[in-house]
Amino acid sequence: MSGRVIVITSGKGGVGKTTTNANIGTALARMGKKVVMIDTDLGLRNLDLLLGLENRIVYTIVDVVEERCKLKQALVKDKKNPNLCLLAAAQTRDKSAVTQEQLKEICEKLQKDFDFILVDCPAGIEQGFQNAVAGASEAIVVTTPEMSAVRDADRIIGLLEAKEEIKSYKLLLNRVRPNLIKSNDMMSVDDVVEILSAELIGIIPEDTGIITSTNKGEPIVNDEKSLAGQAYNNVARRIIGEDVPFLNLDEPKGVVAKVKKFFSGLMGKEK
Amino acid sequence: MDLVGFVEGTKMDKGYIENGFIVDVSNASKTSEIIYELSRILDLPDAQSKKVCLKLGSVDLSATELTSIKALVESMNSEIEFVSTSSDVTVKSAEELNIEVSVLENKVPTPEFNADQEKINKELERALDKIFGDENTEIKTFAQEKDLKELKEVSSSSSIAQEVSSESVEAPVAVAEVVETSVDSVASEKTESEPSNGSSEEFHSEPIIINEQFDFDEFNAKLNDANLIDGEEIKEIDYNLDDLRKSLRETEKLPTLYIQRTLRSGQSITSEGNIVIIGDVNPGSEVIAKGDITVWGILGGIAHAGSEGNKFARIRALKMNAIQLRIADTFARRPDSINIPYIQKSDTFIPEEACIRRKQIYIHKIHEV
Repeated sequence: MSGRVIVITSGKGGVGKTTTNANIGTALARMGKKVVMIDTDLGLRNLDLLLGLENRIVYTIVDVVEERCKLKQALVKDKKNPNLCLLAAAQTRDKSAVTQEQLKEICEKLQKDFDFILVDCPAGIEQGFQNAVAGASEAIVVTTPEMSAVRDADRIIGLLEAKEEIKSYKLLLNRVRPNLIKSNDMMSVDDVVEILSAELIGIIPEDTGIITSTNKGEPIVNDEKSLAGQAYNNVARRIIGEDVPFLNLDEPKGVVAKVKKFFSGLMGKEK
Repeated sequence: MDLVGFVEGTKMDKGYIENGFIVDVSNASKTSEIIYELSRILDLPDAQSKKVCLKLGSVDLSATELTSIKALVESMNSEIEFVSTSSDVTVKSAEELNIEVSVLENKVPTPEFNADQEKINKELERALDKIFGDENTEIKTFAQEKDLKELKEVSSSSSIAQEVSSESVEAPVAVAEVVETSVDSVASEKTESEPSNGSSEEFHSEPIIINEQFDFDEFNAKLNDANLIDGEEIKEIDYNLDDLRKSLRETEKLPTLYIQRTLRSGQSITSEGNIVIIGDVNPGSEVIAKGDITVWGILGGIAHAGSEGNKFARIRALKMNAIQLRIADTFARRPDSINIPYIQKSDTFIPEEACIRRKQIYIHKIHEV
C-alpha cells in the first residue's frame, strides 16, 4: 500500500487550513480510508484541539525525529474513528526542530500503513512551509474570496509549481458567502478561479457551526445537516476520485430558510 | 558579565550604599564592554538617580578611561559611590579623579545546599532561555533581563530559607525509597482519574477513577507491539504516614525553582528540583520537575512531577484543569466528558493535590490531608 501524501496549505493565516485538514481527514476516515494527519505547525499547534485529542498527546513529531519514541507510538488515534490518526506537533518547540528530510522520511514510513497522509502546513512560506511540502506529492491550496488571501494563494501556487515533487495541486475556496457575492461585495468563485487559474476541488460556505465545532473539538463533517459539513464531505469524495457536483449555495435550503427569505424579501433587504 | 543587581543597602566593609546598587563588571576585559554594560543597566528605570558601586575586577583602567566611565554614569543621572578593583593601575587613576576605592565584600551569606549550585544556575538559565526563546540572542530586552535578575534573586533567597528550615530540623532523615522506573514507559501505565471536584472522601478511601484505557495506546499495541512495555508490574506502594513523611523529606531536600509569572502556551519549564509557580499554567505549556510541582493559580497545561521516577512527588494547584498529569511514570488525562474551554477566574478555587495511589493518579482536596 502506498498512501497519498496531500499537503494542505494557504500562505495566508486564518483561511481555514487546519479546519479543512480536520474535516477532510475525518470525512475520508468515515469513508473507510485509513488516514493520518500530520500537524507541522510546530509551536502553534491547533489540529489536536479541533479534533478534541489534546489530552491524549504524549509524544509529538519532535519526539519521533529525536528518536525518543517510535513513530507508531506517537500516533494518536481518534476518539470515534479508528481509521483516523494524528501525529501532533510539539507546542514547546519551533519550526527548526524538524527538517525537510525528516518529514519526508516520516511521510514515506506512514505511506505503507495509511491511504492518506494529510499534512497541515503552517502559515507563511518559510521553513515550516518548506518542511510541510517536502514529503507531499499533492497539494490543496486553501483560500478565501479576499484579495489578500488570493494573492498569497497565488504566491503559494507559484512555489508549489516550482517543486518537482508536487504532482498536482487543487484549489479549495473557503468561507464563501453567497449573499455577499450576489450583492457584488465579495469576489465570486469564478473570479478567484480565473485569477489563480487552478482546478477547484471544493467550495465551502461560511458557517457559524464551524466555530462551535472547533470549540467542541468535533469536526463539522460529523454534523450531517451542516452545509459546510456536506461541502467538506464532497471534497473528500472528490479526492478519492468521485465526480460530485458542487453544492448549490445560492438557494437556501429547508422550509424555514425559504420562509425567512420570503419575509426578508418583504422587508426589502436580503439577509 | 554578571549583574549582581539592585541589592539595596548591601552590607560591605564600607558600610551601606544608601539608595544605590552594585554593578558587577568584573568579568569585563575591555572598557567598551564596561561602557556597554553600564549604559544598558543605567538605562533601566529602576536605576535612575541612584548611586553606583562599580565592581571592576582585574582590568587596568587609565585615568582617561575612568573619566569617560564617570562621565557616562553622570550623564545617566547616577553617581559613582566607589569602585572596587584588584588592579593597581585603576586604583591610581581612581585616586587621581577623587573616586573612592574600596573592597567590596558581600556579607550576605551565600546559600549552600547539597546540590551543585552551578548546575542549578545553569539549569535556571536553561529554563529561562526556554521560556524566553532564543538562546543565541546575547542582548536581551530590558524586560527579560529584569525578569532574569528577579528570578535569580528570588531563587537564591528562597533557597536560603530552605536551608534554614532543613537545618533546624535535626531529626535523622531516612531516605525514602524511590522506585526507579524509566520515564519512557509513561505510555505503559494507563490510568485516568477524574478531578474529583465535589468529592469529600477520606485519605484512605477509594478514589473516583474512571478505568477507561486511553485508546490510542491500544491502537499502538495493535500496530506495533515491539516497543510497548505492556503489563509491566509496578510495585504496590503502601501508603501510610511514614511513607508520606519520607516523601515530604525527599522533595524537601531538593532545590526549588520559584517562578512568579504565568506560563503561556508553548513555554516549558524543567527543573532538577521542585517548581513553584505563582501564576497560571496555561494550556499548551508544560512543567517538568524532579520533585513536586505547586501552582498558585490554574493548572491548565501538562505537569510532570517526579520526572525521574519519584512516585512520591505531588502536583498541587489552586485549580486543577490540567490536560495531562504525570507523576513518575503514571499518566492521567483530562476526561473527554469535561470540556472546560476556560476557567472563570472569579470562580471559587478549591486547592487540590494529585499523587499516586494504587498505581493511579488520584486528585484530592489539599485540606483533607
